[in-house]
Amino acid sequence: MLITHTINTPKPVTPSGALVLLILRVLQSSSLHGYAIAQRIHILSNEVLAVEEGLLYPTLQKMLVKGWVTAEWGISETNRKVRCYCITPDGRRHLETELSDYDRVTQGIQEVLRTA
Amino acid sequence: MGEFFRRIQYLLNRRRLDRELENDMEFHREMAAREGRNNFGNTLRMREQAREAWGWTWLDRLGQDLRYTARTLARSPGFTVTAVLVLAIGIGVNVAAFSLFNMVALQPLPVRDPNSLVRLERRSPQDYTSEMPYLSAIFYRDHAKSLSAVMAVLGVPPMQVDDDIQPTSTSFVTPNYFIELGTSAANGRLFDPTREDSPTAPPVAVISYALWQHRFAGDPSILGRTIRLNKKPATIIGITPYAFASLGGQRPDIWLPIAQQPYFIGGSNVLNDPSNSSVRMWGRLAPGVTKQMAAGELLTLTNELRHQHPKDIWDNEFIDIHPGGHLQVMQAEMYQVAALIAMLTLLILAVACANLGGLLLARAVTREREIGIRVAVGAGRFRIFRQLCTESLVLASLGALTGMALSYVVLRVALVRFDSPGWLSPVPDWRVILFAMGMAVIAAIFFGFAPALHIARQRQRKTIVRQILIGLQIAASCVLLIVSSLLVRATQHVLFTNPGFAYQQLVSIDPQLGRYGYTPASAQAYLSQMQDRLRALPEVKSVALVKLPPLGHSVSRMDTEIAGRPVAIYPNWVEPGFFQTMSIPILLGRTFYPGEKRVVIVSESLARKQWPGQNPIGQLLGDGPNQDTVIGVAGDARVNAMSDDDAVEQYWPAQLDDMPDMVLMLRATGEPSGLPPMAKSISERLDPRLFPEIRQMKLLYRDNVQQQVEQIAATVSMIGLIAILVAAVGILGLVSFSVSQRMKEIAIRMALGAKKFDVLTAVLRQFLWPVAIGMIAGAGVAAAASKVLRRILFGVSNLDPASYAAALVVLVAIIALAGLLPARRALRLDLAKTLHNE
Repeated sequence: MLITHTINTPKPVTPSGALVLLILRVLQSSSLHGYAIAQRIHILSNEVLAVEEGLLYPTLQKMLVKGWVTAEWGISETNRKVRCYCITPDGRRHLETELSDYDRVTQGIQEVLRTA
Repeated sequence: MGEFFRRIQYLLNRRRLDRELENDMEFHREMAAREGRNNFGNTLRMREQAREAWGWTWLDRLGQDLRYTARTLARSPGFTVTAVLVLAIGIGVNVAAFSLFNMVALQPLPVRDPNSLVRLERRSPQDYTSEMPYLSAIFYRDHAKSLSAVMAVLGVPPMQVDDDIQPTSTSFVTPNYFIELGTSAANGRLFDPTREDSPTAPPVAVISYALWQHRFAGDPSILGRTIRLNKKPATIIGITPYAFASLGGQRPDIWLPIAQQPYFIGGSNVLNDPSNSSVRMWGRLAPGVTKQMAAGELLTLTNELRHQHPKDIWDNEFIDIHPGGHLQVMQAEMYQVAALIAMLTLLILAVACANLGGLLLARAVTREREIGIRVAVGAGRFRIFRQLCTESLVLASLGALTGMALSYVVLRVALVRFDSPGWLSPVPDWRVILFAMGMAVIAAIFFGFAPALHIARQRQRKTIVRQILIGLQIAASCVLLIVSSLLVRATQHVLFTNPGFAYQQLVSIDPQLGRYGYTPASAQAYLSQMQDRLRALPEVKSVALVKLPPLGHSVSRMDTEIAGRPVAIYPNWVEPGFFQTMSIPILLGRTFYPGEKRVVIVSESLARKQWPGQNPIGQLLGDGPNQDTVIGVAGDARVNAMSDDDAVEQYWPAQLDDMPDMVLMLRATGEPSGLPPMAKSISERLDPRLFPEIRQMKLLYRDNVQQQVEQIAATVSMIGLIAILVAAVGILGLVSFSVSQRMKEIAIRMALGAKKFDVLTAVLRQFLWPVAIGMIAGAGVAAAASKVLRRILFGVSNLDPASYAAALVVLVAIIALAGLLPARRALRLDLAKTLHNE
């Protein structure tokens, strides 16, 4: 697995299970290209999470096929033609169910950790 | 569903989308590089992983496999052609058999709404007849709400058109017949229920397209012309279309309205006689009505009919409903025949598959290097296995395609030869194509799976699988050869022995008195006059009366059980002189006295089965109050079941009531061919209204029995021969392969002084056991399975040792030839050269 090491900081974690959830969340506010998605997740997670390319693009392809996101041509900050991904109504719905599931699971785990 | 369509879109646009994906990753790498990260992974591999999300990777792999297969097969054209041909034979025979079954029993007739057509027959637990009284048919038509229409067909002996010598086939039908089938005339008009439903309407006839073309030279002015049918004038009103699909495959050349039957057959009372089962009945289920619903209603109606005619309805009689919208209405016995044929053709496929499996294994040894290299560069066992399976499937598909083409050609020729209905087409329909595809997959599994498994595990040098395959081939061809040899014996038997009575000099005269309204008394008078006049001819040796003559239009059969085993008894009603005229010996007791009642004569086999080791004379036969005393035992004579050696006969003295149904049998003193014209003129002088059917047994026997059995034997022998040839080619290939593999060993042995015989044994020994075991297994299977053949073997035992011996000798000879020819090569080795080469 490709894991990005950053010196002097704890090893970043690959959010494999929740990647779909995270991508949908960052796309909720604006459409982004692939690199920006990875960057946004990395920054928003206080550089705890690192999304590798080897996982990001297959996941994005899967989401395209599922119809949760669509791709449109846009121009990058470096003035390059690049595909931008934006969330679809289907994707928003999926995000909501995922979020509520996620909340329930984390609550459950917290309960166990606290009381056991 | 949306996801599915998106996937399809990804498939269609995958070039463009792949470029876009590449662009995404390129961009990502550029951005990462700006930030000083250069450890972007392998783009190509990542792109492949990303593409997997589209779900079409398997298609790419399949494409790769197919391209590789095409290259491999093209590189060895000899092998490819052999394999495809072997498969084409194996699959083609099956496809042809299935196509035939499909045409006969599965394809709907090209008529209006064929699915609602049903055939209706009388049945009870004890009795069955394919025909029913016209009055009953009318009763069902008028009262059954579950049937939207009822059609009746009355078959009659061929009629004389004008002054033709050859009579023309004729049927009477209800006037709704053509309308119900949605047929329109090729010329003129067909029957109209409002015009042709009355006995007093002007007599009309519809003729077939073939009769119009051949007898009337396609003359369009034939419409409205009057022809004479058995001397009765009738007007031709129309011509059926060329590709006319009739019910039950009956194709008479002349169609007449059933209401006018009394006009054409003077004095006939058939239509008003509730005891005369004479019409075939068809119906159309009303919309929304199922077979079960109709059967329920018809049962109620049958019970009502019993009130009206208590004597003429059997106990527990019901109407049997079969789908009628096919060329042949299938009965249980026909499915048995179909299953038998399927078994034989599947054996051919088994031979072909086992054969090809052996070839593939042999080829695998030469492909060792190629497969070794592929494994070395990282191909997994599964990938190799998949590649080999793809190869098998490609071969099987090519074989199936060629097989379909073969079957099409064969069927085309056969359909023309056997004068089949014009609408039948040998072009494969979706059922045949599906069947061929299924056969290809089954064949690929049979011939390809085991070798592929074996090769993928790189164990191709093991011989055990190859030996099993040889054993299978031998066993399957052995079964086929034995069956064909049994049938050939049956043919010989038919050609050179009597069916229990000497038929060569017999002539039957069927005056059909019942159809012309004769009463028992007048029929008796007519028959006795007829007999006297015939006896007066010097060419006639003897005359007798019988109700069910050999090769007649109807056969009666009683299925019972004697000592727990099913027995088919063929009853008949005869006059005392019958046995002498037919040359059936009376072995015990005596024949009937004139006018005798409550007595019965049984055949030798029936007596042996019923009273083993006892004297049958004086025993009582039958149940309840209707018991008859046995007064004689006659020799076995298959009068009504020529092909069935297990059939037994039982004869009653014909009574006065039987007279209108009796048939005259004549025995000629010499050559019988002069008798029919004399009998015809005598009959014409006695009653000019009658048109008796006069038939020479010798010709009838040749046309109906010999030709049939010859055709069956020829077909099966051909199948058996194909199987053994395919097997021989396979063995030839395997032996020559094993010789070429062991060249060095053989050369060393010979250099060290081995004798020629020892070398041969060394080469052939590995084939000895499989061949022996295969032959024993094949003979065993044939012995067990050929029981079902007994009914068509004309008295040849299904365990007939001569047939088995002949089949095994042929098999051994062909195998020995196939083995020795290539093995001889080992003996002619140039020792120095071979050893030098190695």
